Amino acid sequence: MTPARRPMFGEQQRFMLLLIAPAALLLGLFQVVPIVIGANASFRDWALYNPKKTWVGLDHYKAVITDPAFLEVVLPNTFIFMVASVIGALTLGLGLALLLNRPFRGQKIVQTVLMVPLMVAPVIAAIMMRWMFNDQFGIVNAVLEGLGLEGQPWLVERWSAFGIIVLTDVWLWTPWFTLLLLAGLQSLPKEPFEAAAIDGTSAWRVFSHLTLPMLQPVIVVCVVIRAIDAFRTFDIVWTLTGGGPGRSTELFSLYAYVLAFLNLDLGRGSAAAIVGGLIILVVGIGLYRLVDRVTKT
Amino acid sequence: MAMVRTPLMFARLPIGGRRLLFGLAITGICLAVAFPVLWLILTSLRPESGVYYVHRGTEFTLASYAEVLLDERLIQAFVNSALISTLATIFSLLVTVSSGYMLSRFRGPAAQTWFGTIYVFRCVPYISWVLPLYFVAQSWGIYDTYIGLLLPHIAVHICFFSWLMKGFFDGIDPSMEHAALIDGCTRWGAFIRVALPSAIPAISALAVLCWLFTWNEFLFALILTGNKVPVITVVMAQFVTEMGLRWNLMAATAVMALVPAFLLALFGQKYVIRGLRI
Repeated sequence: MTPARRPMFGEQQRFMLLLIAPAALLLGLFQVVPIVIGANASFRDWALYNPKKTWVGLDHYKAVITDPAFLEVVLPNTFIFMVASVIGALTLGLGLALLLNRPFRGQKIVQTVLMVPLMVAPVIAAIMMRWMFNDQFGIVNAVLEGLGLEGQPWLVERWSAFGIIVLTDVWLWTPWFTLLLLAGLQSLPKEPFEAAAIDGTSAWRVFSHLTLPMLQPVIVVCVVIRAIDAFRTFDIVWTLTGGGPGRSTELFSLYAYVLAFLNLDLGRGSAAAIVGGLIILVVGIGLYRLVDRVTKT
Repeated sequence: MAMVRTPLMFARLPIGGRRLLFGLAITGICLAVAFPVLWLILTSLRPESGVYYVHRGTEFTLASYAEVLLDERLIQAFVNSALISTLATIFSLLVTVSSGYMLSRFRGPAAQTWFGTIYVFRCVPYISWVLPLYFVAQSWGIYDTYIGLLLPHIAVHICFFSWLMKGFFDGIDPSMEHAALIDGCTRWGAFIRVALPSAIPAISALAVLCWLFTWNEFLFALILTGNKVPVITVVMAQFVTEMGLRWNLMAATAVMALVPAFLLALFGQKYVIRGLRI
């Protein structure tokens, strides 16, 4: 804002600082301070039975990045989950947004129904799925058996359990994409579409040559936000499988949690939390560059 | 984009047939999306003995709800969740509206640094700061207290909401504020009396989102509280392990936890849709 009169020196700076002071203070106390203390803990033997909290240097980091469970299970799981759940929710969300972006009778009701998963807590969604996919009493197996097929022990095998985790996440987050993409669709200019309609362009060409390119900035922003959030998914895994069978469906957040609070090794848990934080930071900065480039062109 | 053409494969059908197909498809999609919730409601209405065969049998009862309502710990959890969600919403908005305003109205190194900070901390996974916050909360004596759960819930939305608020304020023409400043209004006056009222749709949208996010949050309470401050998500997750076989009770609790969120979303939907159109 250009000041109307030349302000007293520092007046504008004071106003700016006061505006962000409460937010900065909270951010400092509840995110920066814990991260610093966690970094300190990650270099120490910070277990309950060791009151001295001996300095161990990089031992915890070495242990984490050479842990086969981390390298071969947790990291691949986390990235597969991220990609699968974002692609699933984006595709479905875009489809539903296109569907809702035309007037039809009952559109308001349909829109409300499609937004339902947005209100459901991930923990509740996981409970619902766990119940539906219960191997003895779940409706999914009941239907399969009704069709003459065999029921599956869904949550007892690695990839079916993993698939259910992805399915739950896609169910939860599709409306989020629908909502933002629908808002994006409705703010697109009308003229190009009218011109295409006059030329008799096919629906697919309109979609791939007009809608998709014009919607690209919104899509990229949605994907980046969601991908970063998918990396930290915890609730649904915890409630659906607890990381099992064995540790085969653990994602990064659960891995750090298990180290710190179930194995009671707070030092190594902190190291794992920092390793994961650094990984997503690199990914996040890369994605930010992408957003910057897409929104500027 | 009002001019979407009907896909060619349906073009040969008569208008009525096309409508019917469209209607069927829409109904199918809605049913598929809502099915897990409907199934949960159905399960919660089944008696203890019938819960394992939800799809068969016709007895229905409200007994599970009655049992849930008599459980003091659950009631406590509902009250706590509602209290923390409401307070967190009020305080997050107070804090982030001004921060978003600053990001939108000022350029220069201070604004850039703050924006960069927000972006970086938005990426940090919750576990990376909530896990060590466990020691911090213990040493500050706020572990397992209301305040110790409330403050992180306020802090967590700072980044995302400041960023969204910046977007909203960017869409509001600052010339009214300039005019107010020329007329002798202070900067605070221009912010509070001129800019804030025009941001009310956006603020309502964020209020709805913030309440829902807090009500649904799980990890913070799992790590930062013990037994003294039960919240509904944690209590439900404990159910899964402790009462794994009593699905009717679990379903009834889950349905009760869904009701406030549904009501809020139903009334708040139009604000969210209007407010998110950045």
